[in-house]
Amino acid sequence: MIAGTVVVAIGLAYALFSGLSRVLTGPTPDAAAGAGAPSAPAAATAPVVPKIKATLFFASEDGLRLAPVQSDVPLADGPVAQARAIVEAQLTAEPPAALARTIPAGVTLRGLFVSQNNEAFVDLDPSIKSGHPGGSLQELLTVYTIVNVLLTNLPTLQQVQILIDGHEADTLAGHVDLRRPLRKNEGLIQPSNTTPAVTLPSPSPQ
Amino acid sequence: MERMRRVGLAGFVIVALVAGLSIRPVAQGTSLTVLSREGRKPLALTSINNQDYVSVDDINTLFATTSRDDRQAGALTITARTRNVVLSENQNIVSVSGRLVSLPAPPVRRDNRWFVPVDFLPRALALALESRIDLRRPSRLLIVGDLRVPRVVARVDAGPTNVVVTFDVTPNTESRVVAQQGRLLLQFEADALELVAPTLPPQTFLLGLAAGDTGASVLLTTGPRYASHRVSTSQADAGSGRVTIDLLPSTTIETPSPTAPPPPDTRTLLVPQGPSTGLRTVVIDPGHGGEELGAQGPKGTLEKDITLSVARRLRTLIESRLGLKVYLTREDDRTMSLDDRSAFANSHQADVFLSIHGNAAVRPALKGAEVYYLTVERADEETRKRADDDATVLPALGGGSRTINLILWETAQARYLEQSAALAGFVERALSTKVEMSPRAMQQAPFRVLVGANMPAALVEIGYLSNVDQETQLGSAEYQDLVAQALMDALVKFREFLEP
Repeated sequence: MIAGTVVVAIGLAYALFSGLSRVLTGPTPDAAAGAGAPSAPAAATAPVVPKIKATLFFASEDGLRLAPVQSDVPLADGPVAQARAIVEAQLTAEPPAALARTIPAGVTLRGLFVSQNNEAFVDLDPSIKSGHPGGSLQELLTVYTIVNVLLTNLPTLQQVQILIDGHEADTLAGHVDLRRPLRKNEGLIQPSNTTPAVTLPSPSPQ
Repeated sequence: MERMRRVGLAGFVIVALVAGLSIRPVAQGTSLTVLSREGRKPLALTSINNQDYVSVDDINTLFATTSRDDRQAGALTITARTRNVVLSENQNIVSVSGRLVSLPAPPVRRDNRWFVPVDFLPRALALALESRIDLRRPSRLLIVGDLRVPRVVARVDAGPTNVVVTFDVTPNTESRVVAQQGRLLLQFEADALELVAPTLPPQTFLLGLAAGDTGASVLLTTGPRYASHRVSTSQADAGSGRVTIDLLPSTTIETPSPTAPPPPDTRTLLVPQGPSTGLRTVVIDPGHGGEELGAQGPKGTLEKDITLSVARRLRTLIESRLGLKVYLTREDDRTMSLDDRSAFANSHQADVFLSIHGNAAVRPALKGAEVYYLTVERADEETRKRADDDATVLPALGGGSRTINLILWETAQARYLEQSAALAGFVERALSTKVEMSPRAMQQAPFRVLVGANMPAALVEIGYLSNVDQETQLGSAEYQDLVAQALMDALVKFREFLEP
């Protein structure tokens, strides 16, 4: 039984690593090449980087939900690259004053892939696990920040699965099941009429 | 290889060799104990990047395999019988005769010696050898071949005059108690035991509890005040059994015994007394444990300690007041995977599974208890339908056949969602009468520990360790008792709900 589970898990992991170009769709040159390398961060160096408005998420003032915040994210070439840019913006963005981070600072994106079924696989570095403070609520907020930021901004995506250091993981901190792709969690999002009208102090708006 | 082949032939003669294999509670050393029909051997563990590794040289010696190092390719081929296992440096997927197997960490070459994560043995080597290899990490045991090595978890409760020793045996295994001079020997029909022994309460006439030196047995050493004992076994239809030995002292034996109105062990007596309900067995899961600390309060209180303490209090309450069978997924501070926890509840055929946790938030002001039951991410109806449809006919022992329901792990909880929602509701209501609730007192979430539970199940967050005041509360006996009392009240309500 264990062997069966293992083989299934490996099948997926192996497919992700070795057979990406065959298994996956999307702007493939970018998807295959960018596996480990961070794509252009929202740096102020490039003079004319077009931006899009995207919704990022932070812990609400009462700490119970995800507060949506509009922010500028670099426009990228194709949905996979755009997904990557959005997750990178979420990982690096500083929260507005009233809100708080849901993802430990310094976590980086190792890779992001999209399957034929429009499931996004987000591969994060291990500090997402080692730097996590624990607790169900905090873990839910962390996981659904990643899931919701993709599914809110890129409606063609259906589900999101988080990988850690290139592998499937049971959980981040002992609670939320990461072995399967997750759907958007609307219930965790703070209704927008209570969202503080704060814009992200991010690089130059276009 | 030779050695492995002889395994099957040696038969019962070799059982004699195995005699004396009982394992000490948890070996603290840096080696595994390898149990096979040939006896017991150590296998050294090396810690690399916080993972347990074993050297390939040691594997070759122990399992009569050979290995060939291809330095140019950075690969190693281990040959076991006719099968090859190919490992690559820094690659945590290995090939066993072409079949891919994942390891939790990559093989490592150090000083021209190769090391593989200990999981290589059950995952890859077992496939290559076509032999069962069972790694029992908490006890540092590696069981090779078809040995019967039940896990025996002992518990000692000191009563007013008596001492009750309870053994939970998984899988259920025949046993008998032999009284000898100054000691009792509990002898199991097995090749060896994985014994988890507790710290003995002080000042009782039970002086020692340890692995016996004659076969798969547990030795109870009794002091002069010991006079007699009573043994009861509950061999439930579940995969586990329970042996209870009630040790009675010499001074009081005759007074309570003849009529015995309130016998000390209420577990075996209250169960048949109660109304026939759908609630007989409860599994309580103290969250986290061992290396998994869980959340940590600002003053250093650890979630894993609080959850175990509350679970123990709840067990005592349920056993004494409701007379239900109660099992904890962990009896002590040990690392245990989430799937093992729900598997434990399934193998004990629990009617209810309660996982106990402590919460944490970025906002230090946040406090209060919460209850969760599972969200099913995929189309619920389809999942449930599939869960209900998969009936399979299997041959039964002694002829004939029986129909059993085989369900996928991932769909186990789906068929209980309504009952789990009801259970969570009772827990939420009962908790709210005793302790402060969080603003989001009842929620659904895709929690892994609930996914595989084949019974109504809920996860209870008993408070926020990230809140300083609540951290103090959570560490106090009063608060823990309030929580335990509320959870027991909820189980009473749930029992009425199941069997109105």
